[in-house]
Amino acid sequence: MTTQAPESRARGFIKSPFDLAGGLFLIALAVLGLAGGLTLPTGTLSAIGSGFMPRVVSIMVAAFGVLLVVQAMLFEGDSLERWHLRGPVFVLGSVFVFALAVRGSTLNFGGVLGVPLLATVHVPQLGLVVAGPLCVVVSSFAANDTKPLEIAIFAVVMTLLSGILFKEVLNLPIPFDPAGLIPEPVSGTYSGLKWALAQVINLVKNAFGR
Amino acid sequence: MFDSFAQFATDLAGNLQLGMGVALSLRNIALCFLGCLVGTLVGVLPGVGPIATITMLLPITFGLDPVGALIMLAGIYYGAQYGGSTTAILVNIPGEATAVVTTLDGHQMAKQGRAGVALGIAAIGSFVAGSVATLVIAALAVPMTAWALKFGPADYFSLMVLGLMFAVVLARGSVPKAIAVILVGILLSTVGTDLESGEERLTFGWTEISDGLDVAVLAMGMFGFAEILRNLESTQARDVVHGAIGRLLPGRQDFKQSAAPIARGTLLGSVLGLLPGNGAVLGPFASYTLEKKLSKDPSRFGRGAIEGVAGPESANNAGAQTAFIPLLTLGIPPNAVMALMVGAMQIHSIVPGPQIMTKQPQLFWGMIASMWIGNLMLLIINLPLIGLWVRFLKVPYRLMFPAIVLLCCIGIYSVNNSPTEVIMTAGFGLFGYALYKFGFEPAPLLLGFVLGRLMEEKLRQALVISRGHFTTFIDCPLWKGTCERPISTTLLILSVVILVVAIIPAIRAGRDEVFKEA
Repeated sequence: MTTQAPESRARGFIKSPFDLAGGLFLIALAVLGLAGGLTLPTGTLSAIGSGFMPRVVSIMVAAFGVLLVVQAMLFEGDSLERWHLRGPVFVLGSVFVFALAVRGSTLNFGGVLGVPLLATVHVPQLGLVVAGPLCVVVSSFAANDTKPLEIAIFAVVMTLLSGILFKEVLNLPIPFDPAGLIPEPVSGTYSGLKWALAQVINLVKNAFGR
Repeated sequence: MFDSFAQFATDLAGNLQLGMGVALSLRNIALCFLGCLVGTLVGVLPGVGPIATITMLLPITFGLDPVGALIMLAGIYYGAQYGGSTTAILVNIPGEATAVVTTLDGHQMAKQGRAGVALGIAAIGSFVAGSVATLVIAALAVPMTAWALKFGPADYFSLMVLGLMFAVVLARGSVPKAIAVILVGILLSTVGTDLESGEERLTFGWTEISDGLDVAVLAMGMFGFAEILRNLESTQARDVVHGAIGRLLPGRQDFKQSAAPIARGTLLGSVLGLLPGNGAVLGPFASYTLEKKLSKDPSRFGRGAIEGVAGPESANNAGAQTAFIPLLTLGIPPNAVMALMVGAMQIHSIVPGPQIMTKQPQLFWGMIASMWIGNLMLLIINLPLIGLWVRFLKVPYRLMFPAIVLLCCIGIYSVNNSPTEVIMTAGFGLFGYALYKFGFEPAPLLLGFVLGRLMEEKLRQALVISRGHFTTFIDCPLWKGTCERPISTTLLILSVVILVVAIIPAIRAGRDEVFKEA
């Protein structure tokens, strides 16, 4: 944990912003827990209901949240850690992109919580062959020493290797090809190459008796 | 007495023979080998600990039968553990808490051009420790299972409370935060359809989570993605050892210095690994402290003393292995890695617990035998492959992390073929990042999450049996000359004692010191 030295100037009411933030975080989680189980029956002690555990645990989480808040007001502590945006945005964004593209999906904007449905976006199934490089490239924006050509080549190589491993060797049902998006002359060559590769892998697999 | 011992030894030999018969088939040896190899390969990556490694590699076991899958998973686990030690020695970055101690003297040895010897003694110590720990597991399995069958719901509940209390004491940082984060884990475990009433809980009408949250999603988010986010922020330069690795086989003098530490480390690690609530993490710390105390010249420690690698590495591996005992006999995972193992086993429809041994002896003893084979495998494959690992470690992080992200995505998609779960994993990545920023540890949360469901079930059962009397957990009126629930009562008293001990400032200072030693 990287802790910064407590600042010398008086912070007034709040002596430990670090603990305060932790406490408020817990209280927020507890509120979510209580709200999500509002309608569930608590039951009786001899037959506890489905709402008992979420409620009791939420209240305990809230209690520790309050404890941390009080502690933050009484004892000198660390200041808040800096949040960085770049890492979370690109790393988690790349995961999001992968999830949307690999099997295709439909995104609704609005349509919940009283907001009218504003737009619907259909993402076609692009398969690992597109989603893989996309994921690698988007996530690479999180680092500040990324080299464009290097990451482009690396993205293709990683995708091919993982395609061979997960699709051909392990037979996992992850979609590899874009669904119906490859034009005819290209797709013929493409299928031929894949067939040849599959034969080689099968030879190796059979040698191991699987 | 002698007769019963002879009987015990005969049974043990018979069971191990049964296990060897299963584990020594060509196919299972190949699976064990592959598991160790890919486990080390991924575990060697800096910042990728055993939890992330196992989650990432889970899909490669999917096409296998339960026995083969378990053997491979165990191989991945040992591989990941050993890979972490390799990174600790060569790059000075511990993959997880238990490898922290190895960085102290291991990396110093590497800087002095003795990286090969450090890795060699780590492998040899781990092998010795692993062999002993396998025997310990085999010997304890039968009596522990018999004991576990006496456990009622109340006893199980109290045992889990004790385990979580241990996890609190052994977590770093503040005690209230450790307890709170476990409670958050338990809260997350209640998400989804309630098994008894069929009511949806905490789903907010979102049907995707009505089956509950997947442990793999949680683990991958908090240990895979959040860890990458942390690594991207750390400015600490990676310090890959340059130049020669040196010879691998330790010399006569090295062996002489290491023999006793390996023996002591094995003993310490085996015993501590048995404790519920991640006792295994204590092993390397305890071993290091002990060796330093026993040494004639303690000042050598921290400057490349071979004892400081041999002892803790043995303790680490012994603990990593005996941690299987609570899982396999009681069905209760003692730490976050084992919690993930529960999830992995459930995917292959194996429910860990006392009934495995009685109902599926082939699987049980096959797995135990394969533990020993896995340890041997590590020794054989790792020493020649160290050059490869070094080259691997020199891949810059700017390439490594996008590759890890891609493998995590493919892995988590493959668990249930669900793109939604991939997005949820990203969500838990953010959650894990927030936890880190607010000073909460993710490992106790994962343990609380896995134990939460079981705790609620046992709590309900215990209260139904006792007709709603909470006293069923401490039903032990000794003054009336009876004791209805001796196990549960003892466990709860122990839990309270441990908690009090954790809060007392003097001992807390001592605890912080143990961790600070690293």
